[in-house]
Amino acid sequence: MNPLDWWLLLAILLFCIGAFGVLARRNVIVVVMSLEIMLNAVNIALVAIANFRGGSPGAGTLFSLFIIVLAAAEVTIGLAIVIANYRNRRTVQTDTYDELKG
Amino acid sequence: MPGGDFHPWFFIVIAAWVLTCGLGVVLFKKVMYSAVSMVFCFLGVAFAYALLNAPLVAVVQILVYVGAISIVIIFAIMLTEVQDGRFELFFNRQTAAAGVLALAAAAVLAIVSISADIGPVGDKALTPSLKMLSRLLFDRYVFPFELVSLVLVAAMIGAIVLAHREEERP
Repeated sequence: MNPLDWWLLLAILLFCIGAFGVLARRNVIVVVMSLEIMLNAVNIALVAIANFRGGSPGAGTLFSLFIIVLAAAEVTIGLAIVIANYRNRRTVQTDTYDELKG
Repeated sequence: MPGGDFHPWFFIVIAAWVLTCGLGVVLFKKVMYSAVSMVFCFLGVAFAYALLNAPLVAVVQILVYVGAISIVIIFAIMLTEVQDGRFELFFNRQTAAAGVLALAAAAVLAIVSISADIGPVGDKALTPSLKMLSRLLFDRYVFPFELVSLVLVAAMIGAIVLAHREEERP
């Protein structure tokens, strides 16, 4: 295993931990936190590949910066929706969000 | 082991830290414990960026994630009421399937990424300087940069519209 593989392994494990949280937790806020962890894992992979492969220098850094900005926008909107929904329904459990269920 | 300017133990400590805190986020029953664990996970990821010769990303990670996103999430936790109680309130019915799926995905991704031929891997690439990065940002990547600012404005307006409570008119 070369040095890049160890970092990719770390990113993969972190991504799967986050994916488990998204799939298994009931609290929407914990789901949002797990999503952030998944995005962080992808960022680790990007930065690691940018560090160990020549390619076009700087692209990996900039891509991870863009991902960080988009994650910030996503968490703002996501939590605003959670709060707006909490105001009407008094709950943050995922399985109560079933208004569109036939 | 991971090469670079640092001792391999640094990688082991950072990896153990990040993975432990990540598991804490997913497994803690109290949402506030999850949030604190998430903050420490983000800090560990920032150290990982520093080890990977990306100091700018490390600083932005601390500013945006540890500084801003954590605060927003902790505010959301304080504004909502979380039920306490049995296991079923924290994990839904598909937990076992989700665990199997996550483990399987980890195994498949690990096998693919290790066995894939991704070309030569240098022990140490050159670190892009801040000047080079800013030149790239405003020259080659100026279109995504402007798009991201548009996304931020849209997110800001959307968050205000969603969270704003309409006053009862007399």
